[in-house]
Amino acid sequence: MSFTLPRRAALAGAAAITGFPRLGFTQPRQPIKVGVPTILSGRVAQLGISSRNAMQIEVDRFNAEGGLDGRPIELVVRDSRGTPAEAARLAREMISSEGCEFLLDAEASSGGFAVHEVVRETGTLTLHVNSETSSLTADPRQRFWNAFRVARQGIHDSIAGGDYASKVARARNLRRWMTVAPDYAYGRDTTAEFVEYLKHFHSEVQVVGDTWPRLFQPDYTENITRLSQGRPQAIYSCLWAGDLVTFVEQASLFGLFANSAFFAVNMADYTTLQQIRNLPRGVHSGNRYLKNFPNVPGNLDFATEYNRRFNTFPTNWSWQSATAVRLLGKAMRDAGGTTPRAVAAKLAGMRIASPFGADGHVTMRAEDQTLVGYAIGWGVTIPADPFVENMQPSNWADIFRLEAEWKRNKGWN
Amino acid sequence: MARDILLAGVILAGFLGLEFTGLGSSGLLDFAIRFAIFGLLAMSLNLLIGTTGLVSFGHAAYFGMGAYSFGLLMQSGGWSIPAAIAVAILATALLALVVGALCVRLSEIYFAFLTLAFQMLLHSLILSWIGLTGGDQGLMGGIPKPAFWGIELAKPAHLAGFGMFCLLLSVVLLRQIIRSPFGAALRMLRDNPDRAGFLGLSVYRYRLAAFVIAGAFAGLSGVLMSLYVSGAFPTFAFWTTSGEAIFMIMLGGIQVFLGPLVGTAIFLLLNDWITALTEHHGLFMGTILLIITLGLRKGLLDFVMEWRAARRRAAP
Repeated sequence: MSFTLPRRAALAGAAAITGFPRLGFTQPRQPIKVGVPTILSGRVAQLGISSRNAMQIEVDRFNAEGGLDGRPIELVVRDSRGTPAEAARLAREMISSEGCEFLLDAEASSGGFAVHEVVRETGTLTLHVNSETSSLTADPRQRFWNAFRVARQGIHDSIAGGDYASKVARARNLRRWMTVAPDYAYGRDTTAEFVEYLKHFHSEVQVVGDTWPRLFQPDYTENITRLSQGRPQAIYSCLWAGDLVTFVEQASLFGLFANSAFFAVNMADYTTLQQIRNLPRGVHSGNRYLKNFPNVPGNLDFATEYNRRFNTFPTNWSWQSATAVRLLGKAMRDAGGTTPRAVAAKLAGMRIASPFGADGHVTMRAEDQTLVGYAIGWGVTIPADPFVENMQPSNWADIFRLEAEWKRNKGWN
Repeated sequence: MARDILLAGVILAGFLGLEFTGLGSSGLLDFAIRFAIFGLLAMSLNLLIGTTGLVSFGHAAYFGMGAYSFGLLMQSGGWSIPAAIAVAILATALLALVVGALCVRLSEIYFAFLTLAFQMLLHSLILSWIGLTGGDQGLMGGIPKPAFWGIELAKPAHLAGFGMFCLLLSVVLLRQIIRSPFGAALRMLRDNPDRAGFLGLSVYRYRLAAFVIAGAFAGLSGVLMSLYVSGAFPTFAFWTTSGEAIFMIMLGGIQVFLGPLVGTAIFLLLNDWITALTEHHGLFMGTILLIITLGLRKGLLDFVMEWRAARRRAAP
């Protein structure tokens, strides 16, 4: 009796024995690797972690919906420690060694610019998720086809803040202003822009003094003393995160806010709101991330899901990161693949429904490849959840008009 | 010297050969570029620490100066890369001359802290001169990399090859400097400056010369860094960059000429592995460095060379 082994069976058997069990069977679809250089250690770690967490929620959703024709997204997250050179290295390594097809750059501004230069060379489609420095996309020299920004911008916040503050100033006759801001480019630029638009909307305002604490300064006594001596009716600050927490706690002890209205553009983020031991009532703040602004079910659902998975609340970096994944996922599906030029073409001008949008949508503006239409507003703090009330949404028509003027003045049109 | 050049040529040819034969990977290229940058920085610093006995905490100032001056020149337009590199090195050497003239009269902790003070001065200048340097956001807008002599530094393979060439050339030059009578004088200054002075050597001038040479090589490593990241950032001139270079030297060895290169390789590999494996970079990196430092109590190559010498002595 002769026994003949069919060739396919023999091959499959040999493959199984020799360690190639998938030979002859359907290969699983290759994941779409997306590199995420971000800050997971140091003083900004909380924000970097919140970026990664939000991306993971959205990636899980995308994959559960079938991915891109069966191809899931796989995030490759690495810690740059906030160092631009390390961010650039990681970006290069993700592209060249780890096979990442896209980058979601979740660095702060300086690291973001380093990544920007890397992808300018490599042509990797990149979404900057957290850099708020306006020049990243407003300056035409910084623009190229494969880089997009999915983050709020300093100029948008300054116009919105100036508009809101001018209304409060008129209503309460606040004419003497002082500023306290971190002594580096972001602090100086943002303060200058806020003051410019405050005066634009209310020409009688006078800035009678300023003080510039160092970044990560532990003791603000000298700055608080300077502010107290100036006797301002209102104080503006773009201090952020731990610096803002420390300043507010120390300033409260000195009774600074009893005599001066306080406008802090970066207060309304849960990392800040929940860390201040006795959050003063009545501080005016721009929204960073609030689960009740926009007050829509999708936003609350996002915060609830985030809280369920990570036992904390999202941050400004979270909604931006979630939006970036949603935009990228939709662009890939619309393009029917991961070809960078095709995906970039779909991204430019893309408008998607979003719980973080001012009117339920956000748009990737084609002309400068930056996100617009996201919810911006100001409100006042209260000591307990939801921490900020009476949110006043800003008017995007005014923002667009003044932003265009600002660009013209800079010669960036 | 001919033997050194031959050896360097063989290593460079071997590295370039990997690319031609397709054995080189993009990961290897990335590593080679960074190895060239930080290896050169560590080697240059060891001319001060290991050879001259001057522990500088402010060496990153010249790294940053090289990066910024090269980046600014290239962004201004009209400069070829070799010309910009030459001017950047000269500018860095000039900075080292000015700082060195004030620092090298001091020794030990006073020298170390004065170099650190000048470095922080430069760092503050970079942060505050926003119009020129971009402040804390760094030199933005990219650095043009026009091709020269058939070399296109925008391509990672070319940049890696160029970086390795600069490193090997610098290593050969540094070795010649150390083996020359000038190098012997520096070692004498390190071991006993009073005696060298009594023998008629100008301690000040020799130290200043070593300081300027080390600064110039650090400037070249800064140039390579700005080419690598297509920009320049204030952290290049921050004390942490100096600290990393000192760590690399301590890991590899101070006494053996190639010790800093070995330390650089260990440091970069550890950094890359830890970053890829865990989010707790500082905890793991610190623990491993602590174990190595406490375990060996000297650099790896110093340890190996002493161990070999001890075996030779013990042999019948």
